[in-house]
Amino acid sequence: DVGRRCPVHLLVHRDQTSSPKMFLSAAVRSAVSQTARQVRSLHRSAARAGAGGIFVHRDTPDNNPDTPFEFTEENKKRIEAIISMYPEGHKQAATIPVLDLAQRQHGWLPISAMNKVAEVLDVAPMRVYEVATFYTMFLRQPVGKYFIQICTTTPCMLCNSDSILEAIQNKLGIKVGETTPDKLFTLIEVECLGACVNAPMVQINDNYYEDLTPKDIEDIIDELKAGRVPPPGPRSGRFSCEPAGGLTSLTEPPKGPGFGVRADL
Amino acid sequence: MMSPLCLSSSMLRLPVVSRSLFPAAITKGGAATTNNARTATATAAASNLVEVFVDGQPVMVEPGTTVLQACEKVGMQIPRFCYHERLSVAGNCRMCLVEIEKVPKPVAACAMPVMKGWNILTNSDKTRKAREGVMEFLLANHPLDCPICDQGGECDLQDQSMQFGSDRSRFTESKRAVEDKNIGPLIKTIMTRCIQCTRCVRFASEIAGVEDLGTTGRGNDLQIGTYVEKMFMSELSGNVIDICPVGALTSKPYAFTARPWETRKTESIDVLDAVGSNIVVSTRGGEVMRILPRLNEDINEEWISDKTRFAYDGLKRQRLTQPMVKNESGQLVPTTWEDVLTRVAGALQGVKGNDVAAVVGGLVDAEALISLKDLLNCLNSDNLCTEEVFPMAGAGSDLRSNYLLNTGIAGIEEADVLLLVGTNPRYEAPLFNARIRKGWLHNELQVALVGKEVDLSYTYDHLGESAKALQEIASGTHPFSQVLAKAKHPVVVVGSSCLQREDGAAIMAAVSTIAQNARVSSGVEETWKVLNVLHRVASQVAALDLGYKPGVDTIRKNPPKVLFLLGADADCITRQDLPKDSFIIYQGHHGDVGAPMADIILPGAAYTEKCSTYVNTEGRAQQTRVAVSPPGMAREDWKIIRAISELVGVTLPYDTLDEVRDRLAEVSPNLVRYDDVEEANYFKQANELSKAVNQAVLTEPLVPPQLTVKDFYMTDPISRASQTMAKCVKAVTEGAQAVDEPAIC
Amino acid sequence: MASTAATRAAAGAAKVVKPILSRDLDEAKRRVRELYRAWYREVPNTVAVFQLDISTRQGRDKVREMFDKNKHITDPRVIDMLVIKGKMELQETIHVWKQKTHIMRYFHESEEPRPTDFLSKFYRGHDP
Repeated sequence: DVGRRCPVHLLVHRDQTSSPKMFLSAAVRSAVSQTARQVRSLHRSAARAGAGGIFVHRDTPDNNPDTPFEFTEENKKRIEAIISMYPEGHKQAATIPVLDLAQRQHGWLPISAMNKVAEVLDVAPMRVYEVATFYTMFLRQPVGKYFIQICTTTPCMLCNSDSILEAIQNKLGIKVGETTPDKLFTLIEVECLGACVNAPMVQINDNYYEDLTPKDIEDIIDELKAGRVPPPGPRSGRFSCEPAGGLTSLTEPPKGPGFGVRADL
Repeated sequence: MMSPLCLSSSMLRLPVVSRSLFPAAITKGGAATTNNARTATATAAASNLVEVFVDGQPVMVEPGTTVLQACEKVGMQIPRFCYHERLSVAGNCRMCLVEIEKVPKPVAACAMPVMKGWNILTNSDKTRKAREGVMEFLLANHPLDCPICDQGGECDLQDQSMQFGSDRSRFTESKRAVEDKNIGPLIKTIMTRCIQCTRCVRFASEIAGVEDLGTTGRGNDLQIGTYVEKMFMSELSGNVIDICPVGALTSKPYAFTARPWETRKTESIDVLDAVGSNIVVSTRGGEVMRILPRLNEDINEEWISDKTRFAYDGLKRQRLTQPMVKNESGQLVPTTWEDVLTRVAGALQGVKGNDVAAVVGGLVDAEALISLKDLLNCLNSDNLCTEEVFPMAGAGSDLRSNYLLNTGIAGIEEADVLLLVGTNPRYEAPLFNARIRKGWLHNELQVALVGKEVDLSYTYDHLGESAKALQEIASGTHPFSQVLAKAKHPVVVVGSSCLQREDGAAIMAAVSTIAQNARVSSGVEETWKVLNVLHRVASQVAALDLGYKPGVDTIRKNPPKVLFLLGADADCITRQDLPKDSFIIYQGHHGDVGAPMADIILPGAAYTEKCSTYVNTEGRAQQTRVAVSPPGMAREDWKIIRAISELVGVTLPYDTLDEVRDRLAEVSPNLVRYDDVEEANYFKQANELSKAVNQAVLTEPLVPPQLTVKDFYMTDPISRASQTMAKCVKAVTEGAQAVDEPAIC
Repeated sequence: MASTAATRAAAGAAKVVKPILSRDLDEAKRRVRELYRAWYREVPNTVAVFQLDISTRQGRDKVREMFDKNKHITDPRVIDMLVIKGKMELQETIHVWKQKTHIMRYFHESEEPRPTDFLSKFYRGHDP
């Protein structure tokens, strides 16, 4: 009888001892989740700012259905050409190129531009909103004339992209996600733009500026301020994405035909 | 081990199949050589079937069948969220993942067509693990608010997580939150609960034809919504509440009022339009809590209109609950049934013949119609009218085919050319319109409209606004005549509203001729009906079947001394039309248009409170059932009339509902053949009769009374008394914010 | 098997039934008289204890009426059964196990007969 009762006692004791531990582990877990949450929201901020914040539209003075937007005559012709690429009855397929055209014309995509695209393509506005909100390259919030996207993902970060970011911020006096008062520059932080070999880099509108130093980016901004567009590409003098320390192979011109072939052939 | 067995079994099976098929083919071919071709194709079709196995159980399915459908064929239900039989396949919830033998990865059963010899494993370890994994991901962002969620108890996610999910979660991260949308006064959105199955988006764009809903954003931030602040403006919007597998879209009027397990469900029929949608009335403690659709493939499939679904709060307001009598000062004062029936009997005894007349409204059941007719006939009066007009010149209501939707609601799906005349089916009969849209979307149905141009949720050719265009089509001078002549399965639908006009008979004649010409040129089989009349009120077909005169003209011409209004609320006849000393009796369930002018009010029962017969526009008799008892001292309508008859001294020979129905069967047997459509015929004769009438038509355009969605919500006493419907009208005119209520949760 | 058959045969042969209390009618009648007397004596007490709004006379008339209702019964077994029931009632009354309403139930029939014709059913309510 005593032997039977014993495990019960034991169990009770163990239970008492284990309960503080359980609390402890819960605390640890909540701490972990706290940090995890922060990391996740950090990840988000850039993408959100780039895509224009939230995925619902709210009327603002400069972005509402009455914001004037009309395709230029030139662009109307382009739209016709784009639509003609797709079969009859499949105008909807032209949504992305036409939205892109609208964005290039207006600088960003106000709700009125999306409505216009829907009208041109004969689809419901919602179908256009779906596309415009899906792609981060469609800008649904006003941006400056020069839209600076700085990459701070691991390879760029290891090549000191932080110094580039700091240089831009000091030069323009704006923080990430802000636009200069003269509406010339908007700065955002983005994830990898696929030019890791030329890190660090920024994208300004359609151009990649690579292998940057803080001085380079200041020069670029000065040029842009002066109304000139500096040539895109690496600033370190190398051609495209060749190795940074000069070529290691294929250093001589290619041999002509017949090279290394038996003489009797 | 399993697969070789299966293979051998399928190999064994094949000769058996072929042996069973060939002798039949041979004998048939021998018997009738002319049938050779057909037999050959039949054999080919039969051998086209693909054999697959569900957990080793063989099943023959057509090629192109999905894995999920094949499983359903053997009675194996695959869990799903995004898949819905009536919507396109999305394949994005992944809940229907199943393992297939020798296929490396689990496949989404809803989107994968079967291949020959597949063995689908619906309960293997891999399948169960896949489901558990999907469920874990779905629940990662789903709030644990079931206790305060209106979907609790009827939630697919709840049920399936109990059945297929894990009992614990490994997620420690915080959950995603999504802001709620205001998409109108009917649908409450709690978007955090959404699992992005996109059923609502597909319903809106495919069935409702309103592309207001969509998915915005991407990845973790994907959300369902309208992007811009906008109402989900569709007459079928309430159905997204039913198809939402979680509690993201719930009913606003029903919010926090009842739980599914505490309500009593009564299968009934909707009477707010002439379609006669099948519904389930959920009640608790003598109160209608909500109305849900009931499956009926021939009528409403599984949808109902917003008026059907949400006008039920009108059943609790403006009700007549006590018999009332007008006193000396002109005030209606409550009294007892004894008193009021004695007064009615006194009034009826004092008059004779056609000095007593009756007008019936749109919500009256067949039992009340027959008792009232019998009562007045006993008093030697034949002055029985309906509020709705139907041209009596020509065939009138003598030939039943002349006033029915003969093709049937489901029949529209087979049509290839449809001509709508002076109607807006989208708001007059939303589910009929949904069928037209279905045909338009999936069956290349070509639609044309004569009448005011309206948004029908599908494209159509507008042939003109006035009846002149009709006559041109009838005479063959209109270009559309050629289209109609080439049609294989033509259908012509004329709205009952345009027959209300003075030239109704001429319009009917033109439509009849068009239909007759189209039927001859199409060479379609005899069973195909071309001519259709689309009614707007639930009582009209039964009233015409029973021999009521359509329209109140006779009453205007010969004002009676005693007028009996049975639910007549369309304002067709007013005090001004009658002599000063005339006596008006109103019987009905709502204090609407008809009641205030009455001298005596007899409180009747609404459609949820009586077991009664209604005939829809197809001519299909259906019955409502008692969900709650009538409020206060209200009684079933036919009983009131039966009681009056006893006091008048012409006791009607029926005491019970069955006896009334026997009497109905005596007059018109189709009225008690429930759920059956009694086919009507004699189109040719009707057309010939119509040629004798005055063919002159007015030049005014044919304008249906319900043009936009705001005209849709309040059309009858019940929906006019409904606060929800009033909110809808306000939201449609002033925007959804105008009726926004502070969120409770 | 054999024994049951035997009892059945015996029951069929002699119509002797097992008495409840009384061996013959006279004895049963005596028991009725005793019960009646007991009730008769108890009535004034009951009226006082229950504060009934009736006189002793009315109470005794009611007792008599209740007894008279069954005066046609001649089967001693039935009489015995009724006497037993009457004693139970009496006991409940004496010990005030009953309440006033239970006593007053002897005096007026509150239950109305259900209506059978259409019109009375109609006046009565929804679905009688």
